[in-house]
Amino acid sequence: MIDAGVLLVALLTQQFEQRGFIENSTAVYPQTAPNDSGRVVDDLLFREEASYKFAPWFTVSGAFDARTDSHRQTARDGVVDADDRSIQRPAFSVRRMSATIHRGKVTAEIGRQLIRWGKTDILNPTDRFAPKDYLSSVVDTDFLGVSAARVTYESGGDTVDLVWQPWFTPSRTPLLDQLWTALPPEAAGVSIVDAGARYPGGSQYGARWNHIGSGYEYSLCFFDGFQNLPSFDALLTPVTASVALTRTYPDLRLYGGDAAVPLPWLTIKGEAAYFTSSTPGAEEYALYVIQLERQVKEWSFVGGYAGSVVTRDSASPLQFAPDRGFAKSFVGRAGLTIDASRSLAIETAVRAAGSFVRFEYSQLFGQHWRATGGIAWIRGDMTDFLGEYRRNSYGSLAIRYSF
Amino acid sequence: MSKLFLLAALALPVFAQDPRQIILEVQKRQHADSERYEGTLEVTSQGNQVATKRWVYQRIGSFGNSKAILRFTAPAEVKGVGLLIVNHPARASDQWMWRPAIGRDQRIALQDRSTRFFGTDFSFEDLEERDVDQYDYKLLADEGGMWKLESRPRKSSQYEYSYFWIKKDNYTFVKIEAYNKKGLVRTIDYKNYEQIKGIWTARLTEVYDVTRKSRTVLKYEKLEYNLPMKDDDFTLQALRRDL
Repeated sequence: MIDAGVLLVALLTQQFEQRGFIENSTAVYPQTAPNDSGRVVDDLLFREEASYKFAPWFTVSGAFDARTDSHRQTARDGVVDADDRSIQRPAFSVRRMSATIHRGKVTAEIGRQLIRWGKTDILNPTDRFAPKDYLSSVVDTDFLGVSAARVTYESGGDTVDLVWQPWFTPSRTPLLDQLWTALPPEAAGVSIVDAGARYPGGSQYGARWNHIGSGYEYSLCFFDGFQNLPSFDALLTPVTASVALTRTYPDLRLYGGDAAVPLPWLTIKGEAAYFTSSTPGAEEYALYVIQLERQVKEWSFVGGYAGSVVTRDSASPLQFAPDRGFAKSFVGRAGLTIDASRSLAIETAVRAAGSFVRFEYSQLFGQHWRATGGIAWIRGDMTDFLGEYRRNSYGSLAIRYSF
Repeated sequence: MSKLFLLAALALPVFAQDPRQIILEVQKRQHADSERYEGTLEVTSQGNQVATKRWVYQRIGSFGNSKAILRFTAPAEVKGVGLLIVNHPARASDQWMWRPAIGRDQRIALQDRSTRFFGTDFSFEDLEERDVDQYDYKLLADEGGMWKLESRPRKSSQYEYSYFWIKKDNYTFVKIEAYNKKGLVRTIDYKNYEQIKGIWTARLTEVYDVTRKSRTVLKYEKLEYNLPMKDDDFTLQALRRDL
């Protein structure tokens, strides 16, 4: 009987996988912003990810976040959130809760999950099922899960990916009364309030075909849904000198593709997408990235250019568009693996009117603790997406315990 | 049958004096259609700091026409990170890394085979399967039950030449010394040999990086050969399926 119990526990343990971490990160801003006098933001995050394989073909996976911070970026109502539509981060959220079925060449994942498309780094024009959390920084972001059904068919070097997302998840934008919302000087003295959002109804769909050939790979993709970055409708109340901003999310259709070609001296990667919209006044544009990668001993280098072409201007000047904000820039990343425990990374986007450089040093202590210190330096004009955050250069320290 | 075996056994040492044939015989004896092991890797840096990594490794196919998935199980922060390696006979391998934290696979640029493998003292070139035709071999010594061979790469390599010590009785590597233009770069020692499914297998490999004065020990646990495996389990989808 005891032997049977031991056997059962051993069997269950074999099928159960988990990992997680608790991380405290502190950002220190030498300058304050007109709408935010805070200089120090502390954030505490607990993340647990687990999966259980009921059968070789059936796995259930979940990920749960619990967090709090010193800057009211996280709600304190204690509600467990599963759709990520709140303007504050939820204190408790379900990042992933999905079932994966795998039979032969077909894999289906249903539920809340991360879906990532594209091949380039720093900017991914085709990555449309991956809303981001820009609340703490527009230059260092995390991805949000989406509720979707994803079916993937893989045969030889070909993969077809079909996604249906019945429930829209927007990117989380910076709070209006905090430093990552950059207000123009003309807004001084005007009270700006969040008037909520008009979320689109209906589903989002996408399809992607990826082909791996001999010495190259490429993909073509299509997306029909909504922009996950908001435009704003402004309602001015002159008597109270206040502006109420309502977030709206235009229709979006994407035609895109990406490619990677490893050559003897470097790897070339490219990604491009053309975005159209049936929403009156919504912008239509193309985004593209071409990058070169090279590994030299313990250094890895990625450098390239992100460009954009606007084919129809937006009727609304009020948009939060970091994807286009990073375009028309030379982008680069360099990483150094010093040894098995230590690494350095430098990331940059540079253009005439605005630029940022982020430097990170990271060290593992023992098997569980990691400390990561960094500096992000942002410069530019108020007319530039990056430049408008020039007051937000910051230093950061993150201490993580992984288990 | 026994006569044939005896003939083969008598013929082998004569035939094996050709250094290229010795290497071919080593590879023939190590051939397995699939392999699985759990690896524990300890990196001891010059300052005696020890970093430990663990992974599960699975391979299907062999010698230049194989696919492998390596999945980290420790330390906790890299648990679930996976590497898919597709080896080709005529060109450098294709590699993709899966990072579960960002839910994305990324093709790895691997032009420089002297790059160290995840901060260890192995370079990617050290872990590649050796194509015999890409090297010139010379038999330097035949002593103490071992052959000492010199190997010079025909194609671009971080090494100018290497010395191999191979045991004559079971055709297994004992030691490799690898040199560049400046001198000795790395030593690799193969230890704790055991026979697994008829294949003599080192259960421990120790690499010493002479320049960095850093040492990496790789222990192979639960090693098995010729397990039934499917091609479908060595794809990008398979890489991202597990946690």
